[in-house]
Amino acid sequence: MAVEAQIPYQEAMELHDPHSWITKYWFSQDHKVIAIQYGITAIGVGLVALVLSGMMRLQLGFPDQFDFIDPEAYYQFITMHGMIMVIYLLTALLLGGFGNLLVPLMCGARDMVFPYVNMISYHVYFLSVIILLASYFVPGGPTGAGWTLYPPQAILTGTPGVDWGILLMLGSLAVFIVAFTMGGLNYVTTILQARTRGMTLMRMPLSVWGIFMATVLGLLAFPALFVSAIMMILDKTIGTSFFMPAVVSIGDSLDYSGGSPLLFQHLFWFFGHPEVYIVALPAFGIVSDLISTHARKNIFGYRMMVWAIVAIGVLSFVVWAHHMYVSGMHPWFGFFFATTTLIIAVPTAIKVYNWTLTLWRANIHLTVPMLFAIAFVITFVMGGITGLFLGNVIVDVPLSDTYFVVAHFHMVMGVSPILVIFGAIYHWYPKMTGKMLNDTLGHIHFWVTFLGTYIIYYPMHYLGFVGVPRRYFANGEMAIIDESVIMLNQTITIAALIVGVFQIVFIWNLIYSYFKGRDAGPNPWKATSLEWQTPETPPRHGNWAEKLPTVYRWAYDYSVPGMKDDFIPQTEPRTAEETAAGRTE
Amino acid sequence: MADTGQQHPISVYFWIWALLFVFSAASYMVDYLAFQGYTRWTLIIIFMMLKAGFIVAIFMHMRWERVALITAIMVPPGALLVLVGLMAMESDYTWLTRVVYLGADPAPVPLPPPSH
Amino acid sequence: MAEATGLRNLQLVNDWADDVAVFRAVPWGKAMMWIFLLSDTFIFTCFLTSYMTVRMTTAEPWPNPSEVFALEAFGVPVPLLLIAIMTFILITSSGTMAMAVNMGYRRKRVPAALLMLVTAVFGAMFVGMQMFEWTKLIVDEGVRPWGNPMGAAQFGASFFMITGFHGLHVSAGVVYLIIVAVRVWRGRYEEKGYDIIEITGLYWHFVDLVWVFIFAFFYLW
Repeated sequence: MAVEAQIPYQEAMELHDPHSWITKYWFSQDHKVIAIQYGITAIGVGLVALVLSGMMRLQLGFPDQFDFIDPEAYYQFITMHGMIMVIYLLTALLLGGFGNLLVPLMCGARDMVFPYVNMISYHVYFLSVIILLASYFVPGGPTGAGWTLYPPQAILTGTPGVDWGILLMLGSLAVFIVAFTMGGLNYVTTILQARTRGMTLMRMPLSVWGIFMATVLGLLAFPALFVSAIMMILDKTIGTSFFMPAVVSIGDSLDYSGGSPLLFQHLFWFFGHPEVYIVALPAFGIVSDLISTHARKNIFGYRMMVWAIVAIGVLSFVVWAHHMYVSGMHPWFGFFFATTTLIIAVPTAIKVYNWTLTLWRANIHLTVPMLFAIAFVITFVMGGITGLFLGNVIVDVPLSDTYFVVAHFHMVMGVSPILVIFGAIYHWYPKMTGKMLNDTLGHIHFWVTFLGTYIIYYPMHYLGFVGVPRRYFANGEMAIIDESVIMLNQTITIAALIVGVFQIVFIWNLIYSYFKGRDAGPNPWKATSLEWQTPETPPRHGNWAEKLPTVYRWAYDYSVPGMKDDFIPQTEPRTAEETAAGRTE
Repeated sequence: MADTGQQHPISVYFWIWALLFVFSAASYMVDYLAFQGYTRWTLIIIFMMLKAGFIVAIFMHMRWERVALITAIMVPPGALLVLVGLMAMESDYTWLTRVVYLGADPAPVPLPPPSH
Repeated sequence: MAEATGLRNLQLVNDWADDVAVFRAVPWGKAMMWIFLLSDTFIFTCFLTSYMTVRMTTAEPWPNPSEVFALEAFGVPVPLLLIAIMTFILITSSGTMAMAVNMGYRRKRVPAALLMLVTAVFGAMFVGMQMFEWTKLIVDEGVRPWGNPMGAAQFGASFFMITGFHGLHVSAGVVYLIIVAVRVWRGRYEEKGYDIIEITGLYWHFVDLVWVFIFAFFYLW
């Protein structure tokens, strides 16, 4: 009844076709253009964060050699680097960029359900980036509170950017959350209510599943950050004491009293831990599709993969305080959160096993996207294993606030999703532009990035074990800082600078191939999912021809025995042989 | 073809309207008659849940929605119950540390509001 | 068949396993509003949880809301008088909103628009009374966001923040109601159908719903 009634509604969806340059490239309501806008902005601001990390490394590798890096500047680098990378690059690129691009194409929709809201979402995100970067041009510069922004220190004298920087940071986060909510509502509603005929949830590619669950997590977790941002702004501006206990600052007793700094930490991590999965789940989903496509084999345990995504999403709301073992919280919490943390490792491990089993005896094509996908699996295992160490209270306590933690989270939620993003760009660039990215440049980019990552982050585990503390401007003459630490820090810095500079190869590849690249054709990877079956490449506004495609099978029919091709698109009806063989799903 | 929506007899709304008035009055009376302790909390929570339940079920038409929508909306707030429960434990502990280590008064009496 | 056998959980599974849409016969806008309200629930609960935390952790005495919010009527202080009136006004507005939705689906657009405007008026009255309450609290009782003469500083902070955020929602709702009511009046939805009134109604009832929790946890605790 009503289900049939909704399909003509989608087919007749009002599309506001662009009439001028500005409605085509700036105020566009086409989800693909919005995706590219998100992508370019996120990569642009991400490059800023990359430069910041390079400056941090200069100080750490060669302390006191560079006059322009003083302690204040160093803390501002840390804060801006962390916040930009986690929120404005990874979240925005994976959900705003790939979410926008893939959701309607992979679900077989004409566009997001509310394209206008989707357009506003990007522009509000752009505004939040402007507000964030504006903090470089205000008195005192950006905040140096660390990306976690813990009060009381975040709003007290002595922290860089205490006057304007912190307010702009919190304001920018609030604006970002508004933008994300507008986009996120669109992604979720599109996936739930606007799929094409035959596209059941259990036939969706895992990319869409990952993006879906991550968006749900975002919609439910960002409110906690929003609320804590508002309360900290109130604490800072009009002197409420939500997070501020009675404080003596530089000899003066301040007017604050009775607030709870722990409350902020709980709210922040109630957002912060789901945020890890907001970044990780789309990466999990996308990498599943990359591996399956380039290994020419169906993903192993599709249903298990879906339920693992759902389970991770659910559990991510009950693990947050494992970031707070040394905060002085309720002594019983360590037991509870260590237990839930170890439980959440189970579905995560299932996913890793399934990727490995997909590769097992597969017809692996070592294309550039596949290289990145395999690199992701390896790196994610490395980062995940150290997570098991840190999830246990007794092991975490000595390792807390050392470079071991830095190594862990950069491996697991820094480098891993970035590798997937690179792989995904190499994979979908042909669909978006009609041109292949250059293979040689791709290989150079891959090997430098992948090997560089290990030169940078592997030694950090050792630094953490010997006790080098994180977030220190300089280590000075501590007994633990022996010759090996100094030598390793220099090595890391040199590797980091090389990897950073080599990203130019990637940017150059994006530009060069757009003009000079080899023509890709509609389906260069011989993939099954819907976005490769569009009538035009790149897909036009509205994606499909008069009629929406109909889906007859899941997205993983690769190398089906007895078939002519080694892939069967989702739009291909079942053959008589298949039905006879009892293959109905 | 737009009238696929929620169409129900008006009398249902009047009934719920009246009930909401009654429950609001009842929860107000809890304060007016100055019930304290567990009685107060039990009554307040019961009336609150009844009011919230009727608003969601009848005014927001949740009662007539399909189970798919009901579960999708009602299950996720379970995460909030975890947050509230753990934060209540945490608050008790923080308060305890303030009394034990910072010499805070465990049973302070508020001053009355200024009279005019 | 699922409904015939009364196996509602089977219907649940069937709906989620369906193609095209999970929520059968639910318009896109309504689905989106529900999901937004779910997200907003998390915002308000985080506010209320923060209030609970600061109230339970503070070692200062917490002012008795029953006394602070008392109002003199006929020379006798009546506890929470204004709050009670505000509660009744908001419930009344929820009732008129429900009727507006009903009228819309009966395709009586003028009564529907009128009822929505009445709802907006009740909403505006609520905001007005809230302004009166804030004024009384600030001017007469000396309550400030950073402190008050009765006890814990967090009393004023939580109060102004939570009721302020709720008041903003009500104000936004009033504007939203007026816009939709005018469009309904002009017959803009004659072809598309009147789902929009139900969607607006969902938002308005949610604002009422939040007030139920604020009333219980802030004023009655």
